[in-house]
Amino acid sequence: MNSCIIRYILGYILKLEGAFLFLPCIVAVIYRETAGFSYLFVAVVCLVLGLFMTRKKPKNTVFYLKEGCVATALSWILMSVFGALPFCLTGEIPFFIDALFETVSGFTTTGSSILSDIEALSHCSLFWRSFTHWIGGMGILVFLLAIIPLSGGSHMNLMRAESPGPSVGKLVPKLRQTARLLYLIYVGMTIVQIILLLAGNMPLFDSLTITFGTAGTGGFAIKNDSMINYSPYLQWVTTVFMILFGVNFNAYYFLLFRRIGKALRMEEVRCYIIIIVAATAIIAVNTYNTALGAAGTIRHAAFQVASIITTTGYATTDFNLWPEASKTVLVFLMFIGACAGSTGGGVKVSRLVVLVKSIFRELRSYLHPNIVRKVKLDGKPVDSGTISAIHVYFFTLIILFALSLFAVSFDGHDFITNFTAVATTINNVGPGLGMVGPVENFGFFSPFSKIILTFDMLAGRLELFPLLLLFHPSIWRDMSTRRLKDSRKAEKKLAAH
Amino acid sequence: MFKPKTQEQHGLNIIIVGCGKVGATLVEQLIKEGHDITIIDKSPKKIQAITNTYDIMGLVGNGASYSVLMEAGIEDTDLIIAVTESDELNLLCCTVAKQATDCAAIARVRTPDYSREVGYLREKLGLALIINPELEAAREVARILYLPTALEVNSFAHGQAELIKFQIPKGNLLDGMSIAELGQSYTSGILVCAVERQDELFIPSGDFRLQAGDRMSFVAPRNAARPFLKYIGSKTQRVKDTLIIGGGKAAYYLASRLISAGISVKIIEQDAQRCEELSILLPKAVIINGDGTNEELLKEEGLQYVESFVPLTGIDEENILLTLYAKQVSKAKIITKINRITFKNVINGLDLGSVVYPRYITAEAIIAYVRAKKDSMHSNIETLYHMFDSRAEAIEFLVDKESAVTNIPLMDLPLKKDLLVSFINRNGDILIPSGQDCIKAGDTVMIVTTHTGFHDIQDILK
Repeated sequence: MNSCIIRYILGYILKLEGAFLFLPCIVAVIYRETAGFSYLFVAVVCLVLGLFMTRKKPKNTVFYLKEGCVATALSWILMSVFGALPFCLTGEIPFFIDALFETVSGFTTTGSSILSDIEALSHCSLFWRSFTHWIGGMGILVFLLAIIPLSGGSHMNLMRAESPGPSVGKLVPKLRQTARLLYLIYVGMTIVQIILLLAGNMPLFDSLTITFGTAGTGGFAIKNDSMINYSPYLQWVTTVFMILFGVNFNAYYFLLFRRIGKALRMEEVRCYIIIIVAATAIIAVNTYNTALGAAGTIRHAAFQVASIITTTGYATTDFNLWPEASKTVLVFLMFIGACAGSTGGGVKVSRLVVLVKSIFRELRSYLHPNIVRKVKLDGKPVDSGTISAIHVYFFTLIILFALSLFAVSFDGHDFITNFTAVATTINNVGPGLGMVGPVENFGFFSPFSKIILTFDMLAGRLELFPLLLLFHPSIWRDMSTRRLKDSRKAEKKLAAH
Repeated sequence: MFKPKTQEQHGLNIIIVGCGKVGATLVEQLIKEGHDITIIDKSPKKIQAITNTYDIMGLVGNGASYSVLMEAGIEDTDLIIAVTESDELNLLCCTVAKQATDCAAIARVRTPDYSREVGYLREKLGLALIINPELEAAREVARILYLPTALEVNSFAHGQAELIKFQIPKGNLLDGMSIAELGQSYTSGILVCAVERQDELFIPSGDFRLQAGDRMSFVAPRNAARPFLKYIGSKTQRVKDTLIIGGGKAAYYLASRLISAGISVKIIEQDAQRCEELSILLPKAVIINGDGTNEELLKEEGLQYVESFVPLTGIDEENILLTLYAKQVSKAKIITKINRITFKNVINGLDLGSVVYPRYITAEAIIAYVRAKKDSMHSNIETLYHMFDSRAEAIEFLVDKESAVTNIPLMDLPLKKDLLVSFINRNGDILIPSGQDCIKAGDTVMIVTTHTGFHDIQDILK
């Protein structure tokens, strides 16, 4: 295992985070808040540590899938730990476990909060909370790939570990160019949304934070009651953009290069739209309220459906009070999640499509035991390796879900609360039902449960395996014992050639 | 941060169809030059493997199909290179691509049936280049057999000049001689370009001292190499006969070349039907039907007595073993062809003598073309040759107009370090330059350098 390159990448991540932490400092200067000094302090610490770690460039820059996964998992953990420090230092979230939960919830674009009074936070903390969504949405390593020149083709492994979806492809031959294109689309859409929100008379600070939350499909609002008090126009804009950020970004690439036909032919995107429309219709009928009228009912239904399926987690109404059928639909949507290659979480529509299709294939194989039939996606056969990876992924998700549910149940809360709390964190959604409903928070859980849920959020964002890999004994062996001798030897050998 | 694409930054958009030995080598070499590469192959496994190793985009499908090419972005492509197994598919790929867009096309065509009509095909189909690795390999082997002391012989300036690599034996005249002394004692135009000692590579200056065991490359006009080798006491007559194992395409090309040069050829081939074909194609060669890896057969056919031995089977391991065996039992000049395997360090350690890598020969021809295409404002690359495992490059530039390098004596030019102007070809005369000579418009100039990625003659300046 090439631990030098992992150290190097972690160093870069710290430097990046240090740079990002200056943004809340600027906010603090504008609003004249003393909390800014905490951010400044952590930013400097990150930069110094990062510079120290990247001081020596590793000679051997080749890395394989396992290094990619380990580097990704460690980056996210490191980033979350340092991102949580300012909350502790300002005293706004005194306990580190709570601060970590909040930050991981930010970076993983979950949006579950342990804060009961969000509006009490300083502006710079609110900004940082929302900004973590924006970084975490597209992924920090993808950002890294876009800006630093790493030579060699093995860096695909970094992107593969971080980007959501069963099979990660490139848009253009060069990885760096691909990463840049993704961020270009991301930044472009973010700016459009900010402008549209500003046009609806939303204050600048609100539109920035709400947009960050939408773009990353995060869901941290800056008001205690989420988005309930914003105008219908603003709610519609947010609804549309939540849906847009949940679409596979490849579709935008095709649109950008005028291959509209190709974008429309993406099976995953079509299914995603169909699910949204169907769910909205069911909920609208189920929750029809004469006081709101048809327009209001549809607005609330569409907003909540978009918010949950894209795993954003904003709310315009307390859906905890909705009829059971509607709540059940929402829980289903939590698991379905957005499209692969978007900023959303969950199981992903493309996986669901493959899973459903493999059920039909299985049925057919009972009718005709010798039938040869491949599961197809976008008209192309999905190879059996990918299919079995999807099956294993789904099963692992269920196991992890069950174990977490069991661990959390020791707190003694009711089943619906526990069930939706785990579901909402593992799928990076945000709010659940019961005691963790859209206007409630996660503050009442025990520290142990919070750690479990924090882990679930990270596992969900990184699609389980990169994080689970950290617990494989052979990785530990590689990292600790053989590391010094072997890597030095290998480096010497390489240098000799 | 998000700058639009510019030429210098990104190089060319290249589509490679076929992910075999040559395809993979091309990817390896072209990615170093900074191009955007998309590779198309029918086998998902091969695509998976290569996209995991290199920063390129892979596409599974038939490269001759219009829709697959469209998906690969043929509209914005500058160059398509078709190197699949089949000649016909390669030609079809290029034809389809040429119809879709105005890109340059390179096809691999290696069947002897077509190779005689290369000029016609190239012109009629509008191809930029037709490459034939087997033929190129055969040419290189033949050049070495004409001059068996050499480890490698490469020709430049349309055969007017040669770059010859050989190893200085113990007790040779050159052992302990400095380059300046060599220049005084042997004056008629040769130039030592590069010397490899153990694992180090030198572009030698005047006070560099040669040692026994050094592998040195020197440039000489076509007829000057032989007298020089004779002067330092090496054998210079070409081989009289050769034994070839394996009767593939390369063997055919080589045999027909050698026969026309009056060297007697014996080919051992396992497949009876191929033997019959060869006996019709090469009536003057002795074709033997048998297993070339059979020790008894090799002895029976006189391996001990032949002057040269060329194993050209399709399996690299067999070729290497045959070479090692032949080294034990005979004094023949041996040339090993290695197609596929990549353990270059191990192969160098085996001390096989002359080794020919067809895939590198092909890649060099294509890279020369690509570099010339990328920057063809001031000069063109005529020939490119990678020396000593790509650690040095010999590049022949055509200087077609006046520039900062022309009409100034070489001694006054601010040249980069580790760089040597090896010869100047002026109207077919090969000039080994001294400090007073200068480059003129219309010359072709060969540069040997350890810098990589030169596109233009101007690159030699600091």
